[in-house]
Amino acid sequence: MKNEITLQTRREFLRTTVLGSSLSWTVPAFLANTLTALHSEAADSATQIVTGSDATILVVLQMAGGNDGLNTVVPYANDFYHRARPHLGLSGDKLIKLNDELALNPALSGFKSLHDAGQLAVVQGVGYPNPSRSHFRSTEIWQTASASDRSEPYGWLGRYFDNACAGSDPTAGIAIGGQLPQAFFAKHPRGICLNNPQNYRFLSKGAGTEESYRKLNDLEMAGLAAEDDNSGGSIGSLAAGMPMQGGAAVDFISRTAMDAQMSSDKIRDIAAKVQTQATYPGSQLGTSLKLVAKLIGGGLPTRVYYVSQGGYDTHTNQVGAQARLLKDLGDATQAFVQDMKAQGNLPRVLVMTFSEFGRRVSENASGGTDHGAAAPLFIVGNRVKAGLLGKHPSLAPQDLHQGDLKYNLDFRNVYAGVLENWLKTKSLPILGKAFEPLPVV
Amino acid sequence: MLKPLPVRDWNYAMAAHLLNRAGFGGPPREIEALADRGPESAVNFVVDYESIPDPTPNPAWAKPDPDRLKKIREVNQRGTPEEKKQLQREENQLQRDRLMELRGWWLQRMAVGPRPFQEKMVLFWHGHFATSAEKVRNAYYLWRQNELFRRLATENWQHLLLEAGKDPAMLVWLDQAQSSRQHPNENFAREVMELFALGEGHYTERDVTEAARALTGWTLDRAREKFVYRPQIHDAGPKTFLGRTGNWSGEDVIEQIIAQPQSARFITGKLWNYFAGQPPSQELNTGLAAVFRASGGNFKPLLRTMFRSEEFYQASVLRNQVKSPVQWLVGSVRALECPLPTPLISCGMIRQLGQDLFAPPNVKGWDGGTSWITTNTLLARYNDAESLVQGTLPPMGPGDLGGKTKAAGGGGKKGVRKLQRVRMGGVEVGKILTPEERANQSLLVVSLERRLFQSPLKGDQKRALLDFLASRTHLNDDDILAAIRLLMSTPQYQVT
Repeated sequence: MKNEITLQTRREFLRTTVLGSSLSWTVPAFLANTLTALHSEAADSATQIVTGSDATILVVLQMAGGNDGLNTVVPYANDFYHRARPHLGLSGDKLIKLNDELALNPALSGFKSLHDAGQLAVVQGVGYPNPSRSHFRSTEIWQTASASDRSEPYGWLGRYFDNACAGSDPTAGIAIGGQLPQAFFAKHPRGICLNNPQNYRFLSKGAGTEESYRKLNDLEMAGLAAEDDNSGGSIGSLAAGMPMQGGAAVDFISRTAMDAQMSSDKIRDIAAKVQTQATYPGSQLGTSLKLVAKLIGGGLPTRVYYVSQGGYDTHTNQVGAQARLLKDLGDATQAFVQDMKAQGNLPRVLVMTFSEFGRRVSENASGGTDHGAAAPLFIVGNRVKAGLLGKHPSLAPQDLHQGDLKYNLDFRNVYAGVLENWLKTKSLPILGKAFEPLPVV
Repeated sequence: MLKPLPVRDWNYAMAAHLLNRAGFGGPPREIEALADRGPESAVNFVVDYESIPDPTPNPAWAKPDPDRLKKIREVNQRGTPEEKKQLQREENQLQRDRLMELRGWWLQRMAVGPRPFQEKMVLFWHGHFATSAEKVRNAYYLWRQNELFRRLATENWQHLLLEAGKDPAMLVWLDQAQSSRQHPNENFAREVMELFALGEGHYTERDVTEAARALTGWTLDRAREKFVYRPQIHDAGPKTFLGRTGNWSGEDVIEQIIAQPQSARFITGKLWNYFAGQPPSQELNTGLAAVFRASGGNFKPLLRTMFRSEEFYQASVLRNQVKSPVQWLVGSVRALECPLPTPLISCGMIRQLGQDLFAPPNVKGWDGGTSWITTNTLLARYNDAESLVQGTLPPMGPGDLGGKTKAAGGGGKKGVRKLQRVRMGGVEVGKILTPEERANQSLLVVSLERRLFQSPLKGDQKRALLDFLASRTHLNDDDILAAIRLLMSTPQYQVT
C-alpha cells in the first residue's frame, strides 16, 4: 500500500472534503489511511465504517470483581446447590423463574422484562481452560482473549480495531471511565476513553487561551503540512545547533491532537444536545450507559462502547451487596434498552456482560463466596437469540474442579459469535485461533 | 559504528539531549554546566554517579516486620471471623498507604535526588521486570525490589538477573514461591527467557519445562520476608536445558541463559530503545552487544559507549521520543523548578496518563513510545500542565485516583476528598525568568523555548504565542503562566 500522500493532496483534501462536510471532525489522524483506502479500494469497508449510521454497535459491560454466577442465574431446584449454600442459597417465590430448574436473582427485575420481551440471552457455564483465580490475571485473560498460560499485549477489541477498523474514525471504540481498558489496547489505537465529557476537552480559564491552544495544535501549523521540513531534526541545521521540531513522534502526536480537539468538540456537543428518553439509576453504571445512549443517539460512528460496574468481589455478606449491584445492572440495562428503542437504534445495539470469574460453589464462613471459575454472562438486544444458551455446569461434587464449576463454553466462542455474527468480521485474525462462533443473534 | 561524537558537535542542545534521556532533564543552568564539561566529561559525570552522595532516607517501614506477621498469624489461627475481617481491613489500608508513600518517595528521588541517571535506570528495570502491586500487595517487597534495581542499576547482567529472580516481589509476581518438585510452576521459568533475557524464538517449550524443574526449591520464606532455598522441594534429577544435560539448579539456569549470545543482544537492544527512543539497527545492536560482552556483561562500559556515540545524537534520535508520563511529570518539575505535587496528585496524574508506578499493565511492562498518546491522555497532559503551572488541582474523578483494585493503592472517593484539601506549589515566574525576559515578549519566548524545548518553535507556532502575548495589555505573571501552559499544550512538548 502506498503511504505517501503529496502535500497537494493533503491540503486539497482538508479544504474540499473535510471542511463543512459531515466527516470533517473524523479525518485527520487517519487521513493517510483513509485517503489511501478511498483511492485504491474505493472503500467498501472504509465508507461503511466511517459513516456507520446503520452499522451494528456492541456495548461491553464489565462486572468487575468476579460476580457470583450461581446466585445470579440460580439453580434453585438443585440439591447440591442448597447443600453447598445453606445460608446463601436462594429459593422461594421471589425468584424470577426461567424454567423448572433455573431462575434469575430477584434483584434482576430489570432483566425480567427483557426476558419476557425476548431480548435477553443467558449464556451458561462460560469460562476457559486452566482458570486463574487472580482478579488481575483472569481479567487480563478475558480482556486479551489469551490462553491462560500466555500473555498478550493487545486486547481483543483492540485487535478488532486493528483488523477491521484500520483507517476508521478515532472513536471506533469508546470506553467510559478513567482508563482505557486492556481490551482496547491495540497496535494502532482507535479507542478513546472519557469519564466526563466536560473534562474531555482543553480546560482553560483565561480569555484567549483556548483560541491559542487551537492555533498551536493546528494540523498545518504543527508542521504536518509545512514545507520547511519533513525529515525531523538534524544536527547543525540551525546556527545555534538546535534540533528542529517535527520528527515522526511529533507528527503522530499532532494528528492525535487534532483528533482530540475534534472528537472533544463533537462529544460535548452531543452530550449537551441529545436528550435521553429513559430514567437511569443514578449509579456510575447508569450514568455511563446514559452517556453511551447519548453518543449513539448523536450519531457517533462508534462500533464498540465499554462500560463497567465494580464491587462484585463478595467475600463477605454477599446477599445484600450482590442484590444492590444486580438491581443496578438490571435497571440500568433496562433503561438503556428503552432509550435505544425510543431512538430507533435498538436493532443496531447488542449489550454483552462479562465478569473475570464466577465464585466458589460452597459459601464461606463470612456469608460470602471466594474466587471461582465458570459463570453465566448476559447478552441483550432485540435481535438476540433469546433464552438459555449453552449448558449449565454440573454442581455434583465429583464434577467440580477444586470446588469450582467447570466451564462448558469457552468465552472465546462467545467473542467469536459476537465478532462474526454481530460485528460481521472474521474472528480468526482477532482471536488468533479458530473458535466455533456461538450463534448469539 | 559507535564512534564518539566529535567535540565540535557538542553544544547546549546535545547536552540537553543527554540530560533528558539519561535522566529527567533539568533547568538551563544544569544543561549549561553539562555543555561546559564537553562530551567526555559530561558522559562520565552522568554515568559515574556513585561519587555523588545520595542521602535519601528509606521509608520508616522499609524493613522486615516480624511482630506484625506474628500478630497476623495469631489472629488468622485463633481470631473470630470479625477479628480476621478487621485485621484484613487494617492490613489492606496499611499496604495502600505505604504503596502511595513509596510512589511519592521514588518520584521525589527522580525529581530532586542527586542521581537522576540512576533513577532512570531503576525505572528501566521496573518496566523490564514489570512487577505489579496488583498481585504482590506488599509495599515492603516492592520497596526491596526497587532498591535492588537501584543497587545493581548499572552493575552486571548475570548478577542482576539472578538477584531479580530471587527477589521476594518477583517470587510472588511470577509464582516461583508456589513452585515445587511435585508441582513445578512454569511462570518464572518462561518469562525469564521470553521477557527478561532472550525473547521469543530463542528457547523451546521443553526448555521452559526443564527450567521450571531446575528452579524448584527457590521460594519465599514468608515469616522472614525473604528468599529461601528449600532442598526438599527441589527436583534434583537430570534436566536438558538449552541443549545441555545435567542436574541443573536455578543458578545454573540463569548462568546458561546469560551464556547465550542472544542474552546480550536482547538487553542491549532494549536499553538502546529505552534511551534512544527507537530500536537499534541489526548492525548497531551487534556493535552494542560486542561492547557489552567484552566487558563481561557489565553495564557501564556499554552505557558510556552509547551516550558518547554519534548514533545517539543523530537527527532521527533527537527530540523524537515520546515522553513517558513519569518523564513528562518529573521533567516538567525539573525544567520549571517547581515542587513535585503531593504523592496523591502526582500519582493520580501519571496514572491518568497511563503509567501507574508499581502497577505496570501486564508482565510485558509499558509499551512506551506512541502508545502513551491517545486523545484522552493528550488532553489530560494539556490539562495537567495547567495544574502544574498554576498550582491548581487537576481535573479528575475517583477513578483517576483508584487503581484497578484497592490493593493497588487507589485513593477512591476518600482520595478525592483528601485531595481537595491540598494545594500545590505551581511555577514561580520570578524564579525562572529575569526581569528583562518578563518585560520583553521576544526575550520571553526565546527563554521559554530554551527551557522547555531546547530547540526553536515552528514559525507559525511562535507567531501564535506572540499573538497571545500581544493580546495582553500588561504582561503580568498570570499571562506568563498561561503562556507556559500553552507551550506545554503542544505536540512538541510531549517529546524529548
